[in-house]
Amino acid sequence: MSKTKPIVLELTDVSLSFHVSKKSFDHGRHHVLQDVSMQLYDGETLGIVGRNGVGKTTLLRVLAGILAPTKGTVRMAHGKSASLLTLGLGFKPDLSGRDNALLAAMLQGSSRKQALSFLADIKEFSELGDSFEQPVKNYSAGMSSRLAFTTALMTHVDVLLIDEILSVGDAHFRGKALAAMEARVTGEQTVVFVSHMVDQVEKMCDRVIWLENGNIVAEGDSKEVTSAYTESITRLRRDKIKH
Amino acid sequence: MSLLQYVHLIDIMARMNLRADATRFFLGYIWWILEPLLWVGVFYVVFVTIMGSREADFLMFLATGKLVFVWFSKSVASASSSIVNGKGLVGKIDVPKTLFPMAVVQEGIYKQIAVFATLAIILVANGYAVTATWWYLVPLLVVNYVVIVACAFVGACLVCLARDFAQLITLGMLFLMFTSGIFWDVRSLDAEKAKLVLDLNPIAFLIDAYRQIMMHATAPDMLHLFTIGVGFGALMCVMVLVMRHRSQYLALRALTA
Repeated sequence: MSKTKPIVLELTDVSLSFHVSKKSFDHGRHHVLQDVSMQLYDGETLGIVGRNGVGKTTLLRVLAGILAPTKGTVRMAHGKSASLLTLGLGFKPDLSGRDNALLAAMLQGSSRKQALSFLADIKEFSELGDSFEQPVKNYSAGMSSRLAFTTALMTHVDVLLIDEILSVGDAHFRGKALAAMEARVTGEQTVVFVSHMVDQVEKMCDRVIWLENGNIVAEGDSKEVTSAYTESITRLRRDKIKH
Repeated sequence: MSLLQYVHLIDIMARMNLRADATRFFLGYIWWILEPLLWVGVFYVVFVTIMGSREADFLMFLATGKLVFVWFSKSVASASSSIVNGKGLVGKIDVPKTLFPMAVVQEGIYKQIAVFATLAIILVANGYAVTATWWYLVPLLVVNYVVIVACAFVGACLVCLARDFAQLITLGMLFLMFTSGIFWDVRSLDAEKAKLVLDLNPIAFLIDAYRQIMMHATAPDMLHLFTIGVGFGALMCVMVLVMRHRSQYLALRALTA
């Protein structure tokens, strides 16, 4: 990605820690992010890889403005908005898929009118058919993730932050979801993409950040970073087997 | 988020909560009317059948006090836990944190409409007349709403800071129930004590005002009502500003505490 494009979102020396209990960690403080600096350029697709619990979700939450850093600054370009897409945006099991989709769309910033106009598309894309009118508690896991993915897909914001939403549904729906996602990602949309599916990250992202224990350990070309990351995982597995 | 969007969202969240509630129970929406009727039924059994009070007045006195108080106590208690209970959502989107308690308060309003309608019917059925004085209910309801919202905001922030406050709020509601003149008449105290209770406890004043209007066709002390409205209105505005400026801190507390 050319660095001449304008910066949409910039993090400078961002640390985030919070109080847990008196007897653990560093005097009861848990450090999730430590001195993270990064830039997000207009129109690029940035991938974030890393093992569980290294701070990926927290980093997305800081980028989305949900959490404020304990230290450091987050600068968003004027007039831009960011939204975090994750599965299951507060689904209410007793309500129908339609009601849940309406609520989720409105929570993601649509007006009531816009949200209502999305419903037909959501019903069609999610392939839920008559189940769309049934309570979500009767849905299978695959059906709820299909609904969640489709609802999330309808959001239109300047910066899309995507947290692990491609592992949804059966093979057929996953293919469709991926295609829809790729269409968004390859367009002018600025995207930050977190996933355990390293192949997808490599394929879809222009640039990748590798996060380890709240620090950025590598940043750059998606192929180089993802292969270094995959190598480290393999090495880790090998070491574990040896011991 | 525009104000219109915010208002729509509160309304939708409240109505969805109600719908979810209604589908969970066999009797669904009937509970809205059944619950106040059951309260009156319980009072009838305890105070008329067991304790032998012959006064229909007393039953209406209790019903008015209790049903007004329940609006306040239920709304504030559940709104207090609303941000923490909504942490699934709090961790995913940056919405104004006031949205959570506001949706719960709105839910309470919809239910309370049914409760007040039931109460009015019971009062009329027991020979109380609907008079022009009932217009005073309009400012009274507005002030009551402002008091609920202000307390809901304070409670929701406190519970975010430490979950322990939820226990204290429950206990506080019990304390208020006994000190707000629901089971006894503030006006039966000597003048000095009555003034003290009404001055110190706005809930006691509000409950007494409902009774004065609906049972005795008497206008409440409007200056007192206005003072309560302004005081809690100011508290509400301060809380909106606090919750707006500390939104991310509240999110962190809700997610990690």
